[in-house]
Amino acid sequence: MSESTPRISSQYLENFQHQTVRVVGKITQLRGESATMDANGSITLQLNRDTHLQLNHACEVIGKVQGDLSIRVLTSTDFGTEFDLTAADAVVDATHRYKEIFYGDGH
Amino acid sequence: MTSYGGYTNDYSNTSYGAQGGAGGGGFMTGGSQNSPSGGDSQERNDTLRPVTIKQVNESQESGQFFNIDNSHVSQVTFVGQVRSTSIQTTNITYKLDDGTGTVEVKQWIDPDQDESSRPRIDDNAYVRVWGKIKQFNNKKHVGAHFVRPITDFNEISYHLLEATAVHLYFTKGPLTSKDGANGAGGGAYSNGNMGGATGGLGADGLPPGLSANARKIYHCLRTTQQSNEGLHTADIAHRLQMESADLAKGGDELLETGVIYTTVDDQTWAILNTSS
Repeated sequence: MSESTPRISSQYLENFQHQTVRVVGKITQLRGESATMDANGSITLQLNRDTHLQLNHACEVIGKVQGDLSIRVLTSTDFGTEFDLTAADAVVDATHRYKEIFYGDGH
Repeated sequence: MTSYGGYTNDYSNTSYGAQGGAGGGGFMTGGSQNSPSGGDSQERNDTLRPVTIKQVNESQESGQFFNIDNSHVSQVTFVGQVRSTSIQTTNITYKLDDGTGTVEVKQWIDPDQDESSRPRIDDNAYVRVWGKIKQFNNKKHVGAHFVRPITDFNEISYHLLEATAVHLYFTKGPLTSKDGANGAGGGAYSNGNMGGATGGLGADGLPPGLSANARKIYHCLRTTQQSNEGLHTADIAHRLQMESADLAKGGDELLETGVIYTTVDDQTWAILNTSS
């Protein structure tokens, strides 16, 4: 289904080029129009004007993976500082291992 | 995460009303909405299952129920992000997205309830929903008992992992370990929808992750008297009253893992006995 947005972390980026994905990670650098997120490895985010990220906060972004493996952010949700990124990583792992209940057969 | 051991408990047919005089307590929505004659059987199936939106959209209608992973679901719970809200006089409809798909959630408005007491739910907020799957014009939606905003985002991870664990419980059976430390799990499992003949198999030393059918076949081979040629699949199918397609699939799992082998032909199986 086209409406799904697979949950990924940095090591999956290559397999999801030009697709819309969800990534949860910790914001490690903010540089105006771009930012760096740590999601089991670092990912470069290209921000839009409405994106408000906070340094060292966990954050979920929905965005499109570009050819250079950066992510162009469509929307973002601040998950605060109390978010367990290890659990989020387990979720990414589970969603790719048991994709029958998460994402279409297309991947 | 350590609480996952708890999944060896019975997920299949929880009977909220069955504990003595507890009938009036808890959430008894099933009982109060049904006619007195139908209420009893319905109540026994009043389970609450954590699911993904994809599972809701792919659930199969069967009679008055919906099936997910071939077992009835009555109530479901899931977590999603609000994509749009439309407030009508009698209900509020939210479009929810959890990354696996989208679904409409309808919550009826209680006219007696003070509007200000309703939790405020903004677009793009994450919410937790409890409700029942409904179908109208071939389109599924969820009739919600409640919708509440999520304040601890760990609930999203927790929910998705729980939905996975329950899905695996229904498709692959309860958690088992090679040393057979599974007394409670086997017992609870035998009450489930997936077949009563499989209780206590954990002690057989089967590798984890086998389907319920594979376990049944193994159990049949183990307990049925046979020559050293083993049993023919037709014989097993007859003993277990199992469809031949299911039998072939379960048999393949056992052959792949090497716990059984083929003897005189491909359709005759025997247990590979490594212990003796």
